Amino acid sequence: MVCIRQATMDDLLAMQACNLMCLPENYQMKYYFYHILSWPQLLFVAEDYGGKIVGYVLAKMEEESSEPCHGHITSLAVLRTHRKLGLATKLMNAAQNAMEGVFGAEYVSLHVRRSNRAAFNLYASTLGYKIHDLEAKYYADGEDAYDMRKHLKGRQHLQPITRGHHHHHHHHGGGCCSGEAKTVADNAGVAVSSLEVKGSSLENKSA
Amino acid sequence: MGSSLPPKEANLFKVIVKSYETKQYKKGLKAADAILKKFPEHGETLSMKGLTLNCMDRKSEAYELVRRGLKNDLKSHVCWHVYGLLYRSDREYREAIKCYRNALKIDPDNIEILRDLSLLQAQMRDLTGFVETRQQLLALKPNHRTNWIGFAVSHHLNSNCLKAIDILDAYEGTLEDDYPPDNERCEHGEMLLYKVSLLEECGLLDRALEEMYKKEARIVDKLAFKEQLVSIVVKLGRLEEGEKLYRSLLLMNPDNYSYFVGLQKCLGLYSENGQYTSGEVDQLDVLYKSLEEQYSLSYAAKRIPLDFLEGEKFRNAADNYVRPLLTKGVPSLFSDLSPLYDHHGKADILEQLVVELENSVRSSGCFPRRGEKEPPSTLLWTLFLLAQHYERRGQYDVALEKIDEAIKHTPTVIDIYSIKGRILKNAGDLVSAAALADEARSMDLADRYLNSECVLRMLEADQVGLADKTAVLFTKDGDQHNNLHDMQCMWYELASGESYFRQGDLGRALKKFLAVEKHYADMTEDQFDFHSYCLRKMTLRAYVSMLKFQDQLHSHIYFHKAAVGAIRSYMRLYDSPLKPTGEEDGDMSGLLPAQKRKLKQKQKKAEARAKKEAEEKNEEANSSNLSKAGKRQHTKPVDLDPHGEKLLQVEDPLAEATKYLKLLQNNSSQSLETHILSFEINMRKHKILLAFQAVKRLIKLDENSPDSHRCLIKFFHKISSSSSPVTDAEKLIWSVLETERINLSQLHGKSLVEVNRSFLEKNKDSLMHRVAAAEMLYALELDKKHEAIQLILDSKNNAAPLNGALGPVKEWKLEDCISVHKLLEAIFHNPEAAHSWKNRCMEYFPYSNYFGGLKSSIVAGMVCQNESSLPENGDLSHQVVGGSSQNGNLNTFKDLTI
Repeated sequence: MVCIRQATMDDLLAMQACNLMCLPENYQMKYYFYHILSWPQLLFVAEDYGGKIVGYVLAKMEEESSEPCHGHITSLAVLRTHRKLGLATKLMNAAQNAMEGVFGAEYVSLHVRRSNRAAFNLYASTLGYKIHDLEAKYYADGEDAYDMRKHLKGRQHLQPITRGHHHHHHHHGGGCCSGEAKTVADNAGVAVSSLEVKGSSLENKSA
Repeated sequence: MGSSLPPKEANLFKVIVKSYETKQYKKGLKAADAILKKFPEHGETLSMKGLTLNCMDRKSEAYELVRRGLKNDLKSHVCWHVYGLLYRSDREYREAIKCYRNALKIDPDNIEILRDLSLLQAQMRDLTGFVETRQQLLALKPNHRTNWIGFAVSHHLNSNCLKAIDILDAYEGTLEDDYPPDNERCEHGEMLLYKVSLLEECGLLDRALEEMYKKEARIVDKLAFKEQLVSIVVKLGRLEEGEKLYRSLLLMNPDNYSYFVGLQKCLGLYSENGQYTSGEVDQLDVLYKSLEEQYSLSYAAKRIPLDFLEGEKFRNAADNYVRPLLTKGVPSLFSDLSPLYDHHGKADILEQLVVELENSVRSSGCFPRRGEKEPPSTLLWTLFLLAQHYERRGQYDVALEKIDEAIKHTPTVIDIYSIKGRILKNAGDLVSAAALADEARSMDLADRYLNSECVLRMLEADQVGLADKTAVLFTKDGDQHNNLHDMQCMWYELASGESYFRQGDLGRALKKFLAVEKHYADMTEDQFDFHSYCLRKMTLRAYVSMLKFQDQLHSHIYFHKAAVGAIRSYMRLYDSPLKPTGEEDGDMSGLLPAQKRKLKQKQKKAEARAKKEAEEKNEEANSSNLSKAGKRQHTKPVDLDPHGEKLLQVEDPLAEATKYLKLLQNNSSQSLETHILSFEINMRKHKILLAFQAVKRLIKLDENSPDSHRCLIKFFHKISSSSSPVTDAEKLIWSVLETERINLSQLHGKSLVEVNRSFLEKNKDSLMHRVAAAEMLYALELDKKHEAIQLILDSKNNAAPLNGALGPVKEWKLEDCISVHKLLEAIFHNPEAAHSWKNRCMEYFPYSNYFGGLKSSIVAGMVCQNESSLPENGDLSHQVVGGSSQNGNLNTFKDLTI
């Protein structure tokens, strides 16, 4: 059906195209380069049987030392034509696992439009995110954003990307987060988005 | 630095440098002016002042000052360095490298300059230079981690893997035993993985494996570790280990197809072309049954068997696969199955299967041989699947019948309208397709995907004005002018450019195509900052793959399309150049010369005024940005040529076209189109040998293609009909062609007329081959015009074979028939033949707007009569046209929830 795998350089243009098809928050290619060249472990794509990229997750680590180590979902999208396959959930799980496993993230944050009920439901009920804050007028068009967070516990026990009915016994221990235990069908996995206010400019970091 | 200045001024000079680094340009400028007051010709100060002004957008002053500074102090490395930085800021990297080299002649060990130089060398892929510079940097500062890493990477890029490995080994030797500290574990792990990948790359597999086991604890990225390990293990032929590793990778992610492929390879059950013996198929069947059980939520484990199973087993597996997805209502089911249509016989089985499901659900509400009632939506999704199936088979009538039934069944499912739009588009009714997409869009205005699809359909129907108005609904973000160009929305620019091209608006077409080209130039530029960034971040594997990606960036499909579009536009411009007085001439035809002059003067004045206003606006925008905390913000300057009129005024359109042709030749040499364009351009430029080269490439790629045949005949016909060579150069070319001609097997000892005849004989059942032969017949013998036309009109549209049997669909493709019609009009100039062709095609393609088929919206009167008025006068308020009238009033079900 659809393959979930880490993104490579050759996927970036297709990821950008997918983003532009689905979401109102867009980025120039340089921002995609910045992500994959900083945290290559945190970008995943959904590729259909014909090799077309039909969804992606673009994520990063927040590296300000003032806060505890945590990840952030920059953008997540699944083409409307590929809904109801749980792709968004699978992509999110893959990115979260990598944040925790590779970088030891304590939690992961994201922003979501207040009006985007489908995305909110995915994050809140399926994936176990909680509202941390409300950011007024976060988006360029004046809409508010929920700042949502999910704690990643149990660093060594990673979630399988697909939740199987058949849990391998060692997955039971610490790794399960609230959303994981439920087998909620992910029918909201679309056009769920979040964004940085502005591509946290590379220049600041590399100057 | 700042040498030869007294202490007070030397301190001021330091202030300039510091201010430049901290971006406090005004402060720097003040300090520079203070020095220059006393020493007006001090070279380094002049240079630094210039560099500072460069950052304040005062380019021309900057260059003047920097050059004057250099002239006053040619022996100063500062002046050379600054000159290099200036060039670098304008992306003139070659010039910048020269300046840095001059600076280093004076101060060979200057680390800052060496570092800057190394970045430029990486950017320009001056790899030997890059290695040298990195070596110097390491020799000067061996205690810096990045210098070791940089040196290793430079050797790797310069194809010296072994040396790179040695350097990394030596670097590891400098580390303490307890390295790395906690905060550098990720970076160190990345370095180790990079080293292992180098070992693998140069075939030192045993060493790579040893290294992996030894350093396992220090490699933080466990997924990358396993993927790297399995790759090496398999290459070493240790397949049992490989199998275990793939199974453990599948446990982590049972949706990654490459793990399934890897597992099959380890078990000796993989073939590149998908062909298996029946024994292998049985083994695979057993394997996947167990995998399916183990990973019950993996779609992959269920889907992959459909590829290798055949006949009855395929039917059963497909049945089991399809049913739950229909019950669930998965919209992508058809696109998931569609690759199977290329397998012999499977499309027929799928058709029988789904029709059986449809009948059963319709009559009993259950799937066959199953007692449970299906939800009502199952019938809807079955119809949805069938509609796409029949569309794929070219049976548009049946497809539309199914999709209309689906709409009637549940009028609130938006995806059905999208699919109906797509069916109509493929059937040739572009106008209704756009209307349907617009209807789908209006059902959920917050969904950008529906908006994008609608915009695309509108552009395909050449409703550019309407498309722009629709697209803008998602690009106006408050006051942030986030437009499609800034965000590099290339599908839109391409579709828009192609529409303008079809409509003959070459200026706007070029504007869009060149915009796409610019995005690719920007992407090349994007890599610059990462040359230093990645060395610090240690993301070395990603960095190297980014460089490889960049090296073939221009082979990407969007670039290819844009370049093709630009070249075609320039060629058309060359073939029918603008009248020297411009387009307005037509309107002035009734005027007296004196009136014309007056009018022209008026127009000129108006143009100048508009230009001035735009420029003023630009300046305003710039200055207001500067005032904001002195920070420069990027605003888009006002476009001085929004309609691409200036682009049309190029001196030499063919020279412009050649620029893009070169990029295609370097990056898309496997595409027929590249060489067709090369042929066309070079024939126009009378570059005989280059045109011939294109012919040879075409023949090599596909000697039987109608286009290759056309170019071959056209070329030798042109040669034989031109006057005999006079100059030495011409004689030389002729003799080259004589020898080459003998070597071409297609032409061997035959006249062009004979070659054309045997081409026709060989391909007489193919429409496009017949048409090419007819066109060449006419080109070779002008008096055979009627014979040629008859050849085209006599073509037969046979029933297309469907897996051996003859199906209900005929062979000809709509786009081919349209091009034949255009050919009859433009090349043969024969309106009667064109008319009779059109009448015939109307029957074959009843939905086609182009041929005015009886079922197309234009003829059926569903869309406003004057189609051409849509692009400019189209208004979103009466957006719902065409299909909507059949599907009832949208507002009645606006309140229903899906």
